[in-house]
Amino acid sequence: MAQPLVKKDDDRDDEEYSPFLGIEKGAVLQEARVFNDPQLDPRRCSQVITKLLYLLNQGETFTKIEATEVFFAVTKLFQSRDIGLRRMVYLMIKELSPSADEVIIVTSSLMKDMTSKTDMYRANAIRVLCRITDGTLLTQIERYLKQAIVDKNPVVASAALVSGIHLLETTPEIVKRWSNEVQEAVQSRAALVQFHALALLHQIRQNDRLAVSKLVTSLTRGTVRSPLAQCLLIRYTTQVIREAATTQTGDRPFYDFLESCLRHKAEMVIFEAARAITELNGVTNRELTPAITVLQLFLSSSKPVLRFAAVRTLNKVAMTHPMAVTNCNIDMESLISDQNRSIATLAITTLLKTGNESSVDRLMKQITNFMSDIADEFKIVVVEAIRSLCLKFPLKYRSLMNFLSNILREEGGFEYKKAIVDSIVILIRDIPDAKENGLLHLCEFIEDCEFTYLSTQILHFLGTEGPKTSDPSKYIRYIYNRVHLENATVRAAAVSTLAKFGAMVDALKPRVFVLLRRCLYDGDDEVRDRATLYLNTVGSDGEVIETDKVVKDFLFGSLDIPLANIETSLKNYEPAEQPFDINSVPKEVKTQPLAEKKAPGKKPAGLGAPPSGPPSTVDAYEKLLSSIPEFSDFGKLFKSSAPVELTEAETEYAVNVVKHIFDRHVVFQYNCTNTIPEQLLENVTVIVDASEAEEFAEVASKPLRSLPYDSPGQIFGAFEKPEGVPAVGKFSNMLRFIVKEVDPTTGDVEDDGVEDEYQLEDLEVVAADYVMKVGVSNFRNAWESIGPDFERVDEYGLGPRESLAEAVSAVISLLGMQPCEGTEVVANNSRSHTCLLSGVFIGNVKVLVRLQFGIDGPKEVAMKLAVRSEDDNVSDMIHEIVASG
Amino acid sequence: MILAVLFANSEGNILVERFNGVPAEERLHWRSFLVKLGADNLKGVKNEELLVASHKSVYIVYTVLGDVSIFVVGKDEYDELALAEVIFAITSAVKDACGKIPTERLFLDKYGKICLCLDEIVWKGLLENTEKDRIRRLVRLKPPNEF
Repeated sequence: MAQPLVKKDDDRDDEEYSPFLGIEKGAVLQEARVFNDPQLDPRRCSQVITKLLYLLNQGETFTKIEATEVFFAVTKLFQSRDIGLRRMVYLMIKELSPSADEVIIVTSSLMKDMTSKTDMYRANAIRVLCRITDGTLLTQIERYLKQAIVDKNPVVASAALVSGIHLLETTPEIVKRWSNEVQEAVQSRAALVQFHALALLHQIRQNDRLAVSKLVTSLTRGTVRSPLAQCLLIRYTTQVIREAATTQTGDRPFYDFLESCLRHKAEMVIFEAARAITELNGVTNRELTPAITVLQLFLSSSKPVLRFAAVRTLNKVAMTHPMAVTNCNIDMESLISDQNRSIATLAITTLLKTGNESSVDRLMKQITNFMSDIADEFKIVVVEAIRSLCLKFPLKYRSLMNFLSNILREEGGFEYKKAIVDSIVILIRDIPDAKENGLLHLCEFIEDCEFTYLSTQILHFLGTEGPKTSDPSKYIRYIYNRVHLENATVRAAAVSTLAKFGAMVDALKPRVFVLLRRCLYDGDDEVRDRATLYLNTVGSDGEVIETDKVVKDFLFGSLDIPLANIETSLKNYEPAEQPFDINSVPKEVKTQPLAEKKAPGKKPAGLGAPPSGPPSTVDAYEKLLSSIPEFSDFGKLFKSSAPVELTEAETEYAVNVVKHIFDRHVVFQYNCTNTIPEQLLENVTVIVDASEAEEFAEVASKPLRSLPYDSPGQIFGAFEKPEGVPAVGKFSNMLRFIVKEVDPTTGDVEDDGVEDEYQLEDLEVVAADYVMKVGVSNFRNAWESIGPDFERVDEYGLGPRESLAEAVSAVISLLGMQPCEGTEVVANNSRSHTCLLSGVFIGNVKVLVRLQFGIDGPKEVAMKLAVRSEDDNVSDMIHEIVASG
Repeated sequence: MILAVLFANSEGNILVERFNGVPAEERLHWRSFLVKLGADNLKGVKNEELLVASHKSVYIVYTVLGDVSIFVVGKDEYDELALAEVIFAITSAVKDACGKIPTERLFLDKYGKICLCLDEIVWKGLLENTEKDRIRRLVRLKPPNEF
């Protein structure tokens, strides 16, 4: 906090007298007694109310008793006919927001004002009443409010309309009855009434698409007087366009209206229209051009707000249509020196997105001057933009990496430093030439790093990448320095890193062991334990022995299990005779909810483990299945699919199915819900016809004895299949049950039931069901370590596709594998894309896939598929999946 | 929603603060954030020149008027341009109530009237009135001129 937040009158001896000098709550409350005087002095009363307002506006609070006392006293002021005082009283009552049992004192006075002939009393009384009222009182005054909405005095109408907007949150059923009046108010000649009425009408009808569409259609043809209302209209129009876009083709509806708004006289409207156009789904360059032109003009506006708004919008456009924004680059470069740092940062990051290779050096020079005077949060944005730029122009890595290492040496908080380190790590991973240079920058950084977290992460990274460089010995000094100079956490990490160098670089081994032995006397037990472990496993007593691959894998291999899964399994593990078995931890990465995937700003993590999903439901499935005796000898569950819906939404019975894959069996778990309160289902089974699934034979089924209303139950069916073979097939399903009538009021069930059937959708077991999503932290390393022995490469034509992104996601879901390093995202308008996938095939065979897509003019997509796995059959199998898909 | 309207003197002390839909425990954070924003950026800024910032999904438009700094915070439909409209209504109403660009003393002298003006401009987070003449009449319970 830059300034002390003390009250104005506490902190200085003003040479000027302040009217609130020495104000104290207790004294003001005493003064409020004047409200009770039989002969009211309006001027004095107004002064006291002002003091009370001053206290409240400074965050002072009144106790319940104090507030009640003041409130009762204020209500006495309704006796005065002084207009100024009355206005103050209205405000004061709103500020005090009395409790429900106190409101009654003031309602009659307010109701009187509400029906008063003086318009302004009416307007204010409406506002106060709506602020303090509850549902019951509202029904009493509803008639007056409806009249007020169409009152010829715009202030009264606005008061009622704005009250409506607030009341819609608490008592929507009442406000929705006012639509006719609000509709009339939308046509009002008074600008603000139109604005408020439009806002309320839209809120009332927001869930009725057709009504909103009609509203927009009629208003876009007519005239809207208020610029504010026009802005609202533009927003509602884009909403209609968005919803219509999926069903209509050809010309975009309402585009002409948006385009005409670009010539409106109010800047606010022009900007709103420009922004709406840039945010249209699949906006074309032709549609975009006029909007970009007006935004470009705003960039050189004298008003900072307009400059900010324009550069913010262009920044967003640059993410999807960088070429469309390049025309504005000159204007944007002049904004780098803008006094407003928010504008300057946005300008820089936009330029970084739209710049070309030749402008990089010039831009970096400008940014260097700029970095010193912005705050950390802005710096992080710049760092992230530079990272993307470097990945875009890998040849420029030298200057960009130098820039990152320079700012790494300057002052900064944790988040900022972490952003820089993450960026350097990503550049090292993706640009091989940048590796040695980048690692040295990181080494220098940990020499003087105050953040334990970053030091340990960098040490871990050094251990992975350092031994693979041309001269690994040069990193040892930096690592061993940590053992002398840092806290225990960092020291322990340094020991592990040293051991990795020793294990992976034979030439260094004897010397590293000398260093490790010194760590045996460290003051911290973790450091000593690690040193002991490494010395005893990797080699002993100074003898250089050939390190066993198993030992290396055990010590330094990647875990290959999502951390969230191992955490859940460990939490579920109860101390027992049997030790914890890491092989029992499910390896499946759960897909994240869509909303989370789309979260803006989510960048691939630089350091640490691959992204892991939320706690999995695999455990729950495993527990459930192992509790059913029929399935207990099926062995270990390999994979459970996501639920597949077998019924339409909102049908009588909702059924979805989860496919559980075992080595020799497949279990279908039908999750059923009865949505009819008047029915109870008994003896519920699913009759499965497997005639189109020749390799499967039904071995067991488990019906559901009863399925009451709204309490889900499960039915199981188990099939045997050839071991280790990814058998596929189609199953048709029929729900069979006895239905009994239920009296929903008493819950009584009739004794007699009727047998009935309900057709469900077909279910397919596909090849993707035999592949488990298991990510790898570094695809390149994993690809190289599997080797080309069982590599299979082929090319496929995927035919005409809507877009490249659509083709990529179709292949990903066909294979059912885990996309790595964010490669499932396809940049807009790109003509080619590489997607990396990893997974484990049934039988625990690791498999990696590299997909290269290209699209040509008529949207024909071609794909090159390279598969590497530990088994040639599996590599072939992946090709078969694609060939037959 | 207009989340906050805040007035501070040149030393960063709060003169008026009105929050809408901001939980009580977050108000102190907002108050210090805004005051710091003002201290960092408002030095040497001309009267009524608007500055703008965004913090997460929230927009802030602020300015200086005589001895007083004014901050308006909004989100959703109250983006930087809508807030510019709000702050313009506020600055013109304050100038009108004070008769000129306010000193801190003048601002405090006219405190009651300014509170009434604010009440007419922002009501529970929604913009209600924008024109200073109309606001001047409304705080005196007079119907607007155009009516």
